[in-house]
Amino acid sequence: MRLHRTLTAPFLLVAALAAVTACGSSTGPADSAGSTSPELTLYTSVTQNTVTAVLNGFDKLHPGTTIHVFRATTGQLNARIAADQHSGGLRADVIWGTDPLSMESYAQQGLFQRWPLPNLTGVPPQDKTTYFWGTRELYLVIVAHKGLTPMPATWADLASPAYKGKVALPDPAAAGSAFAALGYFATAPGFGMNFYDKLKANGAVQVSTIPEVVTDVAQGRYQLGITLDSEVRAAIAEGSPVVLDWPADGAISLYSPIAETTAAKGAAGSAAQTLLRYVLSVPGQTAIGKTGWQPVLPGIAGPARPAGSKEVYPAWTTLFGRQTQILQQYQSIFGA
Amino acid sequence: MRAATEAKSAAKAAAAAKTTAAKAAVAKAAAAKAAAAKAAAVALVVGLIAALVAVPLVSLARIAAGAGPTGIWRALSGPQARVAILHTVAVAATVTVLAVAAGTALALAIERRPGRRRLALRLGVAGPLVIPEFVLGFAWSQAYGPAGLSDRLAGLTMPGLFGPAGIIAVLTVYGLPLAYLAVTAGLAARADPALERAARSAGAGRWTVLRTVTLPLLRVPLLAAAALVFVTAAGSFAVPQVLGTPAGFATMPTLVYNDLAFSASSAAFTGLTVVALALVVLVLLALGPLDLWLARLRPSARPESPLTASTARTAVDHVVTVIVCAYAAFAAAIPMLTLVLTALTRGPGLLPVPANWTLANFGAGFSGGGGVALLRSAGLALAAAILAPLLGAAVAGLARGRWRGPVATGVTLAYAIPGSALAVGIIIGYGRWLDGSVTIIGLAYVAKFWVFGHRPVQAALDRLPPGLTRAARLSGARPATAVRTVVLPPLRVAMLTAAGLVFILAFHELTMSTILYGPGTETFAVVIMNQQDLGGVGATAALAVVLTAPVVAVGALATWLTHRSSRSARRPPITPIFRNDRGLTYPRRR
Repeated sequence: MRLHRTLTAPFLLVAALAAVTACGSSTGPADSAGSTSPELTLYTSVTQNTVTAVLNGFDKLHPGTTIHVFRATTGQLNARIAADQHSGGLRADVIWGTDPLSMESYAQQGLFQRWPLPNLTGVPPQDKTTYFWGTRELYLVIVAHKGLTPMPATWADLASPAYKGKVALPDPAAAGSAFAALGYFATAPGFGMNFYDKLKANGAVQVSTIPEVVTDVAQGRYQLGITLDSEVRAAIAEGSPVVLDWPADGAISLYSPIAETTAAKGAAGSAAQTLLRYVLSVPGQTAIGKTGWQPVLPGIAGPARPAGSKEVYPAWTTLFGRQTQILQQYQSIFGA
Repeated sequence: MRAATEAKSAAKAAAAAKTTAAKAAVAKAAAAKAAAAKAAAVALVVGLIAALVAVPLVSLARIAAGAGPTGIWRALSGPQARVAILHTVAVAATVTVLAVAAGTALALAIERRPGRRRLALRLGVAGPLVIPEFVLGFAWSQAYGPAGLSDRLAGLTMPGLFGPAGIIAVLTVYGLPLAYLAVTAGLAARADPALERAARSAGAGRWTVLRTVTLPLLRVPLLAAAALVFVTAAGSFAVPQVLGTPAGFATMPTLVYNDLAFSASSAAFTGLTVVALALVVLVLLALGPLDLWLARLRPSARPESPLTASTARTAVDHVVTVIVCAYAAFAAAIPMLTLVLTALTRGPGLLPVPANWTLANFGAGFSGGGGVALLRSAGLALAAAILAPLLGAAVAGLARGRWRGPVATGVTLAYAIPGSALAVGIIIGYGRWLDGSVTIIGLAYVAKFWVFGHRPVQAALDRLPPGLTRAARLSGARPATAVRTVVLPPLRVAMLTAAGLVFILAFHELTMSTILYGPGTETFAVVIMNQQDLGGVGATAALAVVLTAPVVAVGALATWLTHRSSRSARRPPITPIFRNDRGLTYPRRR
């Protein structure tokens, strides 16, 4: 009896707490059909301030929709999607990624519906596929510590002995845009995977993400790095001692795509399409432009570019299907 | 008359017999009920252990076994896995040797001094324990790394900080207090200074006494400390992730974490589970022999006697004080000061001088849902801090006799399983229903930290003389009163200690949270790790300060209160009055 009584209270408490924790948990909307306010889950690797600006604008136009956001680096996004797949299926209704290569991998796994809004206009043909469309243009450039002389003029200069041990590279397994840079160099004439061999031999160091490259260069850990133009401008605005070095042979241009997943059904599916339409509308694109990125729709202002600056494009269609292969080749050079 | 009297007494006897029989029947029914309740409770505890430990492990094994022997061999013999296994073993073994040696030396040097001088030195050694591993690694990188504080002020950087040397150094700072505390407990419970004095008076030198008397008496705590440090170092994810990744130095936990990003294909996922399972096997292979050795060693208890041999200050005392102060400054104080300065400095690359100070980093850190994550972490830690001691008490109270060993092993095993392996196992086992939820994170916390709820409570129960409740009952106390007045008071302290410990560990937990979190369920540690990944040095430092400060403040307050109360209520030495069946002695109750 004593034992029984002594134990009843703790077990009741355990049960109550378990129930409370379970109620407080957020597993995302299982099925929002029939609910008056639609809910949808967005997985994204887009910068936090851009996601916040776009979703705030969306909320003003569609106040009834609840959006659960999972925002992380591309590497963590891949891990979350894989965890979903190994435990009952994808839970995201919309995926807004950083680069076409990662998004194509998801498409090849059958995670995306065919693009649901084919009648939208304005997105250039080179920035879309059957499954996903671009939302903004990103430019990979060189970031340099203020006062570095001489400055590298081209991408190939990063492998020159003058910069031995001074270059930081973002990790393509963690950052989608770094994956795009890898895709470009792997296939571009005059580079190939040999370029990464040369960088490694020249003492280049792989760090984690695009912003981390800028931070490390600002701190002086490294003098140069491959990063995105917008991150460099933001650091300069904060007063960090860095400069933007636009390579003469052209910044590597990539587009940041968005897609509706096969998990989006019923009201969540409609809400997903409403979100897609908003991101590619003038207000959505303006919000993107204001957070420092070049909107994909022509005519909407983005950040100013240096006069006469060029850009180059990875051969997306050649690269699609080779993602794993080039990543493995890279990791055999720079892998942990 | 006589016949009537006889009839009366016969009737009385019959009535008494009837009453006795009825009482016996009631007692029997009560005993049966209690036995049934106990069986149900034992089943519940065993079921919970199965759910929290066995299910994740079996899930991992099920997926890994799907690869077949060839697949398993291929997964383990690939260049990345092979290197990661080698790194993990080398780092964990080196850290264990360094931390146990330094912890033992410091414990022997510090613990036999008078109380007041001891306290400050103890804090100096044990301080890093209240700093999350991840924060300590990040703070070291800001203090001693390239372009760190020491580099800017004096042009000095720690060679090899990003790489194995740095990982080993930081993990040793973290493991040293674990070894120190284990050896301190051993000194208090086992090594009798009288034996050492006897050896010295018989002519043995200081080293001979250490080698032949002190260390053999400390074998059990030393082995326990080695096991604890090895498990902690082998399973560490945050320190190798922060300090190893820039140098391309992977360990098994970082490999599992990074491979999750490529695990969409079932072959890649199977490979990952093989590595995770190999990590579990590695830890168990190291623990198994230690456990067997520990089981063979009989605990040697000693009678209570004052610890301190002398109250006079010696030159050695001064040397020890200087060493501990220098160590505490280098290992914790300077890195934490750097962390605060980084949190206050406007942007990366700027000098941490007042002209560049701002509170903007705190605002930036909390802008992306950091505040909600902080509350979520506090809630999760609180739930774990309530559940773990209760479950610990359930294990300690129920699992006696033949159940005691297996149940305690099950609970300990859950802690020994490295967090990354446990988290992947939990995703496979429970992800279908709980993927990305707060519940799945809470489940992992309870599984991992259950042992910290169990051990203090078990120790408190073991210290209770077995006859005490019986004595209370014989003195007329009702069962509930006996439990309330005899069992609960010492348990209350143990359960509060356990709750505090579990709260800190759960509040700081990163390894499992970073694998298990989903939309809207980031914990505060995960938010900090993501900030660090995004290169937000100032915001990372600001959030790290917020994560560390409350625990440090509460720890400092608790230490001060304990110190004050022990000063105001100093008691005369306690006298042993009796021994129990294990030969342990207990103080007189006052």
